[in-house]
Amino acid sequence: MHVILLCYYICFEVKDKMINRVKEIYEYRDMIYSLVKRELRGRYQKSVLGMLWTLLNPFFQILIYTFVFTVIFPSSIENYYIYLMTGMIPWTFFSEALGQGAGTIVSNADMTKKIYFPREVLTIASVTAKFVNMLLAFVVIFVFLLTSPLKFSYHILLLPLVMIFEYFIALGFTLFFSAITVYLRDMEYIVGVLLMAWIWATPIMYDISSLDPVIGHILLLNPMTLVVSAYHNILYYHCVPTLWTMTALLLEGIVFALIGWGIFVHLEGNFAEEL
Amino acid sequence: MKPGNAIEVRNVKKYFKVYVDKGHMLRERIVHFNRNRYENREVLKGISFEVKKGESVGLIGRNGCGKSTTLKLLTRILRPNGGTIEMDGRVCSLIELGAGFHPDMSGRENIYINASIFGIKAKEVDERINDIIRFSELEEFIDNPVRTYSSGMYMRLAFSVAINVDADILLIDEILAVGDNAFQTKCFNKLKSMKDQGTTIVIVSHALGQVEKLCDRAIWIEDGLIRKDGPARLVCKEYLDKMESSRLERAELEYRMHLDEEKQRKAAEEEARKREKEEAERRRKENDRQKREAERRQKEERRRNIEEKKRKEEEERRKKQEEEALQKRKEEERRRNASCRAVAVQCSPDARREGMGKIFFTEVKMLDHLGKEQTKYNIGDEMTVSMKYFSEIPGTSANFVIGINRNDWIYCYGTSLQHEGGNFLVTKKEGYISVTIKKLNLLQGKYSLEVRIQNIEKIPYDYLISLIDFEVRSDEKKETGILTMPYEWRTNDTQIKIGKIK
Repeated sequence: MHVILLCYYICFEVKDKMINRVKEIYEYRDMIYSLVKRELRGRYQKSVLGMLWTLLNPFFQILIYTFVFTVIFPSSIENYYIYLMTGMIPWTFFSEALGQGAGTIVSNADMTKKIYFPREVLTIASVTAKFVNMLLAFVVIFVFLLTSPLKFSYHILLLPLVMIFEYFIALGFTLFFSAITVYLRDMEYIVGVLLMAWIWATPIMYDISSLDPVIGHILLLNPMTLVVSAYHNILYYHCVPTLWTMTALLLEGIVFALIGWGIFVHLEGNFAEEL
Repeated sequence: MKPGNAIEVRNVKKYFKVYVDKGHMLRERIVHFNRNRYENREVLKGISFEVKKGESVGLIGRNGCGKSTTLKLLTRILRPNGGTIEMDGRVCSLIELGAGFHPDMSGRENIYINASIFGIKAKEVDERINDIIRFSELEEFIDNPVRTYSSGMYMRLAFSVAINVDADILLIDEILAVGDNAFQTKCFNKLKSMKDQGTTIVIVSHALGQVEKLCDRAIWIEDGLIRKDGPARLVCKEYLDKMESSRLERAELEYRMHLDEEKQRKAAEEEARKREKEEAERRRKENDRQKREAERRQKEERRRNIEEKKRKEEEERRKKQEEEALQKRKEEERRRNASCRAVAVQCSPDARREGMGKIFFTEVKMLDHLGKEQTKYNIGDEMTVSMKYFSEIPGTSANFVIGINRNDWIYCYGTSLQHEGGNFLVTKKEGYISVTIKKLNLLQGKYSLEVRIQNIEKIPYDYLISLIDFEVRSDEKKETGILTMPYEWRTNDTQIKIGKIK
């Protein structure tokens, strides 16, 4: 009943407001583009290898994990390094988006205080930059998959969809935390701690089926559990994620993005005064 | 909203929360949960004003009176607690310069980033990037990373982006103090030309001179209310008077306080002398410790000196580069001025030339009724402006415009060929055109002439600004203002006989 009322409210009461706001953000797409470019290029600008580092980082990460988990601690999961990396790279995107995105409004205080633009732009740009990083990291993963005995299967066609769902979940959380951080500066550090625990509540290093089923069900409350298992299904097990998983992901993407955004818009009015 | 208005502000109020003891950290929030009280400070207590399209308005007032807050409300950075603000047209604010600049990226890349934050599309920037770079005078450095720029260069770049924005309404907060004098003048002229093109400008400034020159109207805000709203000259003058008198009051108060302090100080001195003796003992012990410290510091100093040297060398290299650029620019300027001088023998030292070329003046002269070159006239004299032009595109229609400015930037008079004949002149390859003002009705004063050839869209082919300075003289000063008009005083229907005052 409540859900229906909420849907009604969203559909009829705030629809126009939302559409106007989306239009305005779309007007500022060039700003998103330049901020993403600034973040991606600016970070490696002074280094000799430059942008190549966005590829080299995941490359070495995988290389080290492969070495550790095949030579030093052989794991019971077959091709464990592939299992680990297909979960770890999407997680890295999520945790970086949240960990660094939470501070975007505060760290861009000068801009926020002095210039008008839809404030979401800052957060969207920050999350998008991390998303692009993940896409580049996937190039490296594909190279490793090709050389591993696993190869790919046609299931890979579903990958973009899962990525987009993950993007919206991450965006929702980041919008929420970046708005809260303006009012409560500790939030940035709390998010750091939260992420430390969160990684263990997500089946990245272990297999969810090896857990007690009760705990397994509890873990399903964590949106990232579904995300990571969808990646595992597609890239590691070569099977289609169940329809139920995909619908749940779609709903999570919509709900988290809307809630995060709603709270952001609600708090945004006083940003310039609070900063 | 009334048609013809660009901005309507109605009864706008703004409060700020002033925390008595504000803690951002969680611990402070919890520990001081009860103490987290705040007061509402009223910054704006309900102000209303309207700005017409094409009008330029200056907001003046002392520090903290609420003028910057008003501007921030206009830009939508802050939201009013009461009242409404309506605006019509594309708004651009020049409040923060260089927003989003990344030090490691080149000037060119930073132009795009900075412009996108103002909401300008990359496509639009593509169109005017050359204008922006030329305006900033940083052609030689534009592809170097911004971190190698001097602070002046940095601000020049930032300002050029901001001011080359197409906007219907321009909001400016005290940022004209950028770069050297020449650049400031350039910025000021740019603003002036934007104003002439019909941009609505709202400016917050303490430089009353600038407000007077640029603005038609000034609004004086005091303690969150509008104290006075009217012609810039009048409001600025009144504001200055008020400021001066309150400054004097303050100075007197400070002097009295100073006298009181002096008395207290003398008493304190007596006591201090006693204490000093005790201190001397302690100081001797300290001396030993300091000696050891000094040795350590010396070592560090030596290391720092080496670093300093390196930095200086780098700086010198940069300075040299900049000097060369300056030289080039000066030459360019000299050439341009020389071109003004080539056109007019009577050329004023401030003459500037703008325009897109193709059709240009080859000679401009100001003549008196005898056809002699003249820059000094009496009221009522005949004056002729004779112009020769050269056209690279003969057959094009062009309009000729002349204008007269007083030396305090008041635009006094203008006439154009189009308005006279209702038609444009179809240019030949070379031609001659002149306009004769039969009776110079300007009052005594110093004036300057500007001439312009423009196309149908009013974009100038050739535009000579402040080309010739001239003077209008009169033996007696009977009237005041800008121009003279035929007049006659009457009383009881008979003409007054002019006689000496008895």
